[in-house]
Amino acid sequence: MLEVAVVRFPGSNCDLDAVHAAEAVGAHAYLVWHRDTDLRGAAILGPGGEVLAASSDPERWRDDAAALFEVADRAGDEPVEQIHIGTEQGEVFALRHAGLAAVAVTERFALASLTFFDMRSLLRELAAGDDSKAGEE
Amino acid sequence: MTPKPHRVLLDRVSGYADEAAGYMRRRRAARKPFARLYYGDGRAEDHAVDSRAGGELFVAAGRLIEVAGKRPKQ
Repeated sequence: MLEVAVVRFPGSNCDLDAVHAAEAVGAHAYLVWHRDTDLRGAAILGPGGEVLAASSDPERWRDDAAALFEVADRAGDEPVEQIHIGTEQGEVFALRHAGLAAVAVTERFALASLTFFDMRSLLRELAAGDDSKAGEE
Repeated sequence: MTPKPHRVLLDRVSGYADEAAGYMRRRRAARKPFARLYYGDGRAEDHAVDSRAGGELFVAAGRLIEVAGKRPKQ
């Protein structure tokens, strides 16, 4: 089902109308306050699984992210591209793109579409940066 | 006497607000733990908590939640 996030700012106009309109066409619509920060921690992994950046202990992020991808790959008949796990304690998002991977942990009920969009944009920019450097050499 | 237009508008807006708040409450109450995997061809697979793969995914996710810790203070 299509998910629609309606971002609210102070003084937003017609935001509830937008939620209604999205629901009327069968989408799941949510209101998102513009200062909401659901992210608890995240890591970016390189092609060999090495940590390029992490919000805390890089070794644990490396090992635990590798374990998650390994379990996910074993669950199906091909490597996964995205993982989304929701628990009572929080939500885990993982994404592979262009040989890189990003893993993020958020509060419960984070908007999956926006979180994956941000992660994909980040990896795309990183991959493009690497490509341009490679082109200069 | 017909109500003033602004009163009608206010009633409509607060009605929408109540409805949206109710929708969010229902959504939160109904949401259960899940493990969803997406593949390159756009396919998605759900794994139940009590399945073998689902159980392993939840354990791996739990470790990541632990390493991430609590939300940083604003």
